Amino acid sequence: MGRPLMVCFAIAFIVALIVALMAAAYGVAYLAEGWFEGGARLSNILFLMLLFVMVIATLLTVAERKWSAMIQDRIGPNRARIALPFLRDRALGGLPHLPADVLKMLFKEDFKPAGADRLLFNLAPILAFAPSFALFAVVPAGPTVAINGRQIPMIVASPDFGILFVFAIASLAVYGTSLAGWSSNSKLALLGGVRASSQMISYEVALGLSLVGMMIVFSTVQLPVMTDAQARYLWQAATDFDFGLPAWGIFLQPLGFVLFFAAAFAETKRAPFDVPEGESEIIGYFVEYSGMKFGMFMISEFVEVVVLSGVTAAIFFGLPLFEEHPWLFGTLLGSVFWIKVVLLCWVQLMIRWTFPRFRYDQIQALGWKRLLPVGLANVFLTGALILWDPSLRALASVGILEIATLLVLTFSRRAPERQSSLAGGTHSSSAHGALPQPAPSAGQR
Amino acid sequence: MAYDASQDPTKDVRERIYIPELLRGLAVTTRHFLLNLFRDRDKNTSVVDRKSASLVSTVQYPEERVTYPPGYRGLHRLVPREDGKPRCVACYMCATVCPAQCIYIEAGEYDPADPAPDSRVIEKFPTKFVIDELRCIVCGFCVEACPKDAIRMDTNQHTPSEYTRPSFVYDIPKLLKGPPVSHPSDPWFRRSGSEEPPYQPVEAHSRIGEGRSESHPVKSLPAPAAPVVRFSKGG
Repeated sequence: MGRPLMVCFAIAFIVALIVALMAAAYGVAYLAEGWFEGGARLSNILFLMLLFVMVIATLLTVAERKWSAMIQDRIGPNRARIALPFLRDRALGGLPHLPADVLKMLFKEDFKPAGADRLLFNLAPILAFAPSFALFAVVPAGPTVAINGRQIPMIVASPDFGILFVFAIASLAVYGTSLAGWSSNSKLALLGGVRASSQMISYEVALGLSLVGMMIVFSTVQLPVMTDAQARYLWQAATDFDFGLPAWGIFLQPLGFVLFFAAAFAETKRAPFDVPEGESEIIGYFVEYSGMKFGMFMISEFVEVVVLSGVTAAIFFGLPLFEEHPWLFGTLLGSVFWIKVVLLCWVQLMIRWTFPRFRYDQIQALGWKRLLPVGLANVFLTGALILWDPSLRALASVGILEIATLLVLTFSRRAPERQSSLAGGTHSSSAHGALPQPAPSAGQR
Repeated sequence: MAYDASQDPTKDVRERIYIPELLRGLAVTTRHFLLNLFRDRDKNTSVVDRKSASLVSTVQYPEERVTYPPGYRGLHRLVPREDGKPRCVACYMCATVCPAQCIYIEAGEYDPADPAPDSRVIEKFPTKFVIDELRCIVCGFCVEACPKDAIRMDTNQHTPSEYTRPSFVYDIPKLLKGPPVSHPSDPWFRRSGSEEPPYQPVEAHSRIGEGRSESHPVKSLPAPAAPVVRFSKGG
């Protein structure tokens, strides 16, 4: 009885914290904008990239351990305690492990293998971390809000090239991994670096192609414009109540969503695409790194998870951004964005702990033989449907049909003849014919 | 049931397009996640008896400990008599049967002229009884071999940790512990001048009147239900 209430309270606390931080972000941006022109952008860098993305990413390091434990019927980390009178006997959900891990990383010896290239060895963690961190600059985290006549945007930069910035900077991350693999002077690290670069370069193509459909649909590559365009209704209920099906990208482009998610997952180098790391075979491109340099690689992985969630939430789960919103309503909409981000992070961690690692040839086959042709077909199908019906309803109908087909396939049983061939009477009866076996009673079925 | 070991994924459209199977897998892990997140962990140390919807099967060791089964062979003890001396009569049975040769006994003899009743009914007692717990393989043969029920492994303890090897060599002061045990047939219960023991044991090796030890209460087992076995053709 206690635990469900406690979990609900914790969830409510997180939501309240997000709302409060979002309100603070708008408030500080308002003050900074009054100080000098463009100050809101600067405060957005602090709030969105340093506060939200970094805090969620660091919390994900603990969440990965704790959530994986729950998935695998374990308890997870709960031994680190805070030595204060009321907290001594409380595990606090494993959260004290976070400062413990950070302190451990900071104070560990910074080992450098003999024969390693000094400059590149030190540069590689920065090169791996910075691009994934910079990606969030173009993601809109909330609507533009008017406070006292000042327009306060909740985005760091809104360049015309929007998504193209994401593609360009995301592909820079491969330098960090491949340089780390090469400069370590270790064969296993080199192997990991080569695997990482080949995998990431292969999936660039599918990643770019998967979003072409969305670009066609909304005739833009700017993320805020795309997000805002999804807020209108496809079909509105014929009542006074403001209710209807929004033109979310997930309904218009479910295929594009699956392709984008798979390709972006490969870009983050997490399971099932974690061949570059490959914990059980080669340790990966960062095998020679220790201390906070390894921590940079690890945190950049989680930052990539958060950024991927943010980009996905912006592209496929729209939000009204450009209408005139009062401060409070804008805060709530921004909080909805961050809740979507947290939920998508959860989905990514679930996927990471559900699926086994793909083999290297499977990864290449999936990227080049499946995602690429399907992405091309998606582009042509989307273009044709847009030409036929510019109101997007035909496209949405096809998209919902795709989702329905997927759900039917998921929930339907296998074909009965396969069942019977599995149960195969001949084999079992001849093998165990001598011993009469008790049949399961009717109640057990 | 024969299992299709070929695992040919080309047969089924769900496996060919892969995503439905992925979603099914996600459903399994999500179910585990939500159950373990929202349900209290049953802290029953007997994991198979846990009733909670939470699937966590962990026993948090230092705080929660699994109770050992009744027949668990723990650390040895030398069983004391009512008067606190060991029941052991230094017959060397345990030392002889021990496959690890970890028991060392030196026997002493009671003086027949001693007026104490011990000296009239038993001849020998151990002056040294040493078990090397590092050598012991916990087979329990010594307990089986003992004719006087003088050595038991019913302490339900592991051998505790020590810093030096000599500390694992247990002598009589370390071994002699636990509740005292007496049997009706014990020789020191004979009345003085009696030729026969005062009691006739009802059953050989019975444990009637087993001291004050009440650690093993006898449970009455429920009568077994009539076995229901249904037969079928093939199967």
